[in-house]
Amino acid sequence: MFETARYEGKRRIRGAAVLTTGVGAYAGFIIWYFTVLEDVDYEDVFNDLPPAMLEAFGIESLSTIEGFLGAQVFNFVWLLGLGLYFAYVAGGIIASDIETGRMDIFLSLPITRARLVVEKFGALLVPMLAVNALGGPIIYLFVVAVGETIPLDHLFLAHLLSIPFLLVCAGIGLVFSVAVDRAAIAERGAVGTVFLLYLLESVVGGAEAYDWIQYLSPTQYYEPTPILIEGSFEPIDSVILLVAFAGLLILSQALFERRDV
Amino acid sequence: MSDDPEHPLVVEELTKDYGSVVANDTVSFTVNGGEVFGFLGPNGAGKSTTIRMLLGLLKPTSGSATVLGADIRDEAALTEAKRRIGYLPAYLGFEEGVTGETVLDYHGAMKGESRRDEMLELFTPPIERPIREYSTGNERMLGLVQAFMHDPDLVIMDEPTAGLDPLKQEAFNEFIRNERDRGTTVFFSSHVLSEVRRVCDRVGILRAGSLVELENVEALLHRSGKHVRVHASDAAVAEITALDGVVGPERFTEGVQFIYAGDVNALLRELSAHDIRDVELGEPPIEDVFTHYYGSREEADEGDRNEEATDRTDGAEETDV
Repeated sequence: MFETARYEGKRRIRGAAVLTTGVGAYAGFIIWYFTVLEDVDYEDVFNDLPPAMLEAFGIESLSTIEGFLGAQVFNFVWLLGLGLYFAYVAGGIIASDIETGRMDIFLSLPITRARLVVEKFGALLVPMLAVNALGGPIIYLFVVAVGETIPLDHLFLAHLLSIPFLLVCAGIGLVFSVAVDRAAIAERGAVGTVFLLYLLESVVGGAEAYDWIQYLSPTQYYEPTPILIEGSFEPIDSVILLVAFAGLLILSQALFERRDV
Repeated sequence: MSDDPEHPLVVEELTKDYGSVVANDTVSFTVNGGEVFGFLGPNGAGKSTTIRMLLGLLKPTSGSATVLGADIRDEAALTEAKRRIGYLPAYLGFEEGVTGETVLDYHGAMKGESRRDEMLELFTPPIERPIREYSTGNERMLGLVQAFMHDPDLVIMDEPTAGLDPLKQEAFNEFIRNERDRGTTVFFSSHVLSEVRRVCDRVGILRAGSLVELENVEALLHRSGKHVRVHASDAAVAEITALDGVVGPERFTEGVQFIYAGDVNALLRELSAHDIRDVELGEPPIEDVFTHYYGSREEADEGDRNEEATDRTDGAEETDV
């Protein structure tokens, strides 16, 4: 059981370590930067910015460490950076094996295509869980180290609730991966789609007539800043993301079963 | 269909039409249990297409096949049958960063590894090293180990000896004969006539997507002739090429080359009657054999350009992704 997921998962360990180190280092820098800015009355600076821009970058309260982390780390790294990263990596899962001929060997083994897709995708949980399970404590330790405090439950929720969001981003990549022959195209298509959805949500959020468009974007259903500041979130948002992910996974399986490799 | 040990591989009117090319055109043949079956044809004839349909990698346009009793269009049945199938693809895309040992551990966990150690004594890839350091031959040996390590009933190989050095090729040939004697059925493709001759019991010949002929190896051996290259004077060349059995003579500055399908003694007598500066006798290139027995390549290509329904194009393998 799950031999393929284990085999593929081991190959993801190094990438997961690099990713977690990079994200941790960036978070450390941002937390240190917060202490430098403490003497500056920078809320004034942001008050001059248009409201749409504040909303686009999820800037709510920059004078607290929670608000600062939400804007500078979670909105940039988790929502945008990791969203694009997992879309990109998932875009290569199947397409690169088809392109290199490796899929021949995989499919000569006694495993169905539907299961192969699930197990290969499952290996992506290694970096996805690592960056949250290790990134969370790293961020907490940095915050404590600079003499600030952050509610542990809020931080935990911000990480936990990012998983359904990242699954959807990766799911978009997976659909590209089974639908396209070349890895580079699948990867670019996946990254482009997730980025476009992010932009759409940011841009149309202010225009009432078209505000339904924002509901197409996964970024609509994961808002880390309120979680960090108040611990508030809508459970239905996570349910929507999980259902969307299940749909993307099933679509990927169906597409992969029908195609020549 | 139930598993029929007498016929591990039954191919019935298998067709793969890519629209612009018909890579396989109603190919039918049966492989008997415990035999070595060679699937012979020039590069681009569509051999890989057939093999990849048999493994469920490509969906046939029409027709079907059963592999160890499993219909190739029935994924569940074919997946189950794959426990007893070994496969060596033409191109081995092993993951570069992992060691051979890791690859074999994974394959072992998926399908079994009862003969792993035995295989590693015969073929000796450096399994402790990462695949990216492997030569083509090492990679092929690793491929052979994984194809046989679970003691399969049927082994399907696409150009198995490409990249093996001559010594390993000989070891491979002997190994295949031993496998057959143990009762394993072996089906492999090749474009090398001599290889097929040495190890196969029967051959199917694929050309331009169509099965041209099924025959036993003796008949093929008898029919394929010799490739002869003679350096001699013009007068001598004229007499030599007048012999019965000389096919497609081609002149070059110092002599002539041709396929000789007649009595070898007659050829030698004729040669000894002249002042021969040099002579080479060898196996004919497979395409020449086809040209001789099944019509010229140019005719087939002409047919493609005219899009005649009966002629099929070469080069189909390039489109298999």
